[in-house]
Amino acid sequence: MTADAIVVDHVSKDFRLHKDRATSLKELITRRDRKSGADHFRALDDVSLTIPEGSMYALVGHNGSGKSTLLRCIAGIYQPTSGSVHATGRISTLLELGAGFHPDLTGRENVYMNATILGMSKKEIDDAFDQIVDFAGIGEFIDSPVKIYSSGMYVRLGFSVAVHVDPEILIIDEVIAVGDTEFQRKCFDHLYSLRKRGTTIVVVTHGLGTVEAMCDGAAWLDHGVLQMTGTGGVVTAAYTDQVNARERAERERVAARAADADPDGAADAEPVGSVEDLQIETVEFIGADGAAADVGVYHEPFTIRMHYVARKPVTNPVFGLAIHTSTMVHVTGTNTKIDESPVGTLEGRGHVDFAVEALPLTPGDYEVTVAISDEFIQHNYDRHEREYHLRVRSGSDRQTPEGVMDMRGLWSRTTGDRTATGSETVRR
Amino acid sequence: MSTPLQVWSYRNLISNLAQRDLKARYKRSVLGWLWSLINPAATLGIYTLVFGLFLGGVAPEMGSGREGVFALFLFAGLVAWNLFAGVVNGSITSFLNAGPLLTRTYFPPECPLLATLAAVLLQSLLEVSILLFFMIVVGNLSWTFLVFIPVFALLSCFALGVGLVLAVLNIRYRDVAYLTGILLQIWFYGTPIVYSLDTVPENAKRIIQLNPMNAYVNAMRRGVYYLDLPTLSNWVVMITSASVSLAFGWWLFSRLAPRVIEEL
Repeated sequence: MTADAIVVDHVSKDFRLHKDRATSLKELITRRDRKSGADHFRALDDVSLTIPEGSMYALVGHNGSGKSTLLRCIAGIYQPTSGSVHATGRISTLLELGAGFHPDLTGRENVYMNATILGMSKKEIDDAFDQIVDFAGIGEFIDSPVKIYSSGMYVRLGFSVAVHVDPEILIIDEVIAVGDTEFQRKCFDHLYSLRKRGTTIVVVTHGLGTVEAMCDGAAWLDHGVLQMTGTGGVVTAAYTDQVNARERAERERVAARAADADPDGAADAEPVGSVEDLQIETVEFIGADGAAADVGVYHEPFTIRMHYVARKPVTNPVFGLAIHTSTMVHVTGTNTKIDESPVGTLEGRGHVDFAVEALPLTPGDYEVTVAISDEFIQHNYDRHEREYHLRVRSGSDRQTPEGVMDMRGLWSRTTGDRTATGSETVRR
Repeated sequence: MSTPLQVWSYRNLISNLAQRDLKARYKRSVLGWLWSLINPAATLGIYTLVFGLFLGGVAPEMGSGREGVFALFLFAGLVAWNLFAGVVNGSITSFLNAGPLLTRTYFPPECPLLATLAAVLLQSLLEVSILLFFMIVVGNLSWTFLVFIPVFALLSCFALGVGLVLAVLNIRYRDVAYLTGILLQIWFYGTPIVYSLDTVPENAKRIIQLNPMNAYVNAMRRGVYYLDLPTLSNWVVMITSASVSLAFGWWLFSRLAPRVIEEL
């Protein structure tokens, strides 16, 4: 299982920009003097990565970062401008659902067509056919032309074919998101079982939750350049950090511009208010003795104190926090809206506390995220993504439970149950 | 570069693509498959009317000694031409139409063209059977009719080679498709199909004989109309043109196709 299913070795990919393209013979002749090689767009720049056999691997990055191009290079659809891609095993691609469906042909005919394209033989399709139709939930529509299908049916049938090919490598662009929630869940279940059978799965995703939950590895691309590779959690964390930082910078830029344009009433222009209106200044951890502490102690009182500064009155902002382990497992998270504890109107400086009577985290290292958003949790005033490190140690006189959390359960024993009574009698 | 062996491993796909073409072609038409009979029949009727009746084209005597029938003389040549033109035109459109597939999943890009070839060949076999039927009716038949098999095989290679080149060039320069339409018309009249080679002036004849399609049409006619074998020069021209065209077409296509797929 340690073999590499896919090796991407220093791959670069250039595209000619359309404006440089002579699309007619006349243009070709009249533009002959133009220097060729100019106006190229580099979609991938010296990308190297390896994907182990039987793993689930995610590509993350903003739009246009080269994820789809990389997928197509792996699938053999595009040839890299330089470098090489080696993939071992039968590849099934799911780059666009229902690609290759002919609208006039029936679902049945299209299933056969599509499955053949993905490399299945007639017999294999015969065997899998019922399963495919069943999984897609198409029912009697299978013998109707696909052009009368709803977009959901179209997507489901396409996905169903692609996953039943029993590929060794499955390459999926952001397509699963199209179906309804129930179907999405079904897809993930199926992907999960495919992975258990040893299928290597490469997926492009924006649903970062998926990546964390399911992927063994991930790579982050930005403008065609590989930023980092690593486990799903680590890569998504880094990516989210950057997205948040950018978002913040963008908001500040907008606010600054608004202030320039309208120095008297800058903030009025923004419906939600400017980000500067409410900021988190610092975060403190308060221990059992009521004083600031560097570490938390398991099963002792603990408070997370968020110091804010409101430059303008802000009504009912939502304070939130999240705790991750150092390996990026999301332990818990809550906010004042979930807990139905509105903070009222804030003005000036102050702090908001989140207190627990007995810290339920087991000893170890944690990262704390704090954030303030508007009443509707649409817009962040401020967010400090895992900026606070929390070390939890064990209390002196107490054994600690396993895992990351204390369930705070109560054990009890009751005698006199029907099945248990007999055995107790005998023993006595 | 896709080797013929790689392409062969995708034969399932090729046959499925061909079936899809055929199935989708006559969907939602009342007459359905009959159109594949009506179309060549109409062409044949028009040509017979114009060139045979109006322009007084005379067909030479048949191999059985029977008086010539212009429609059959024409049909024998037209069958070969239809195969050629069908493959060339079909290659261009099928490669263009395969775009959405080729950019989303990998298979040798030659496959859609081979599927077209298969579909056109099927149509040509249908036309040959009609030709056979009429030859039986007029009592002009001999085992030399079977010459159509090697002729079709070589003509397929020749046409596929031309089709591969034009299909791949057409992706970057869409002018190719329009230009092909015109060139095929010129080529059609530059090939002795609606007339007999014997009726053209000597110096024009020499030019026409440079046209490889002349060899295919002539070979076909000798086999099914004159009930004779193709001449040695026919064989030489057919074999040479078929192998050169296919080798060059395949080479150019596999060199350029991976790059033009991005532009599909």
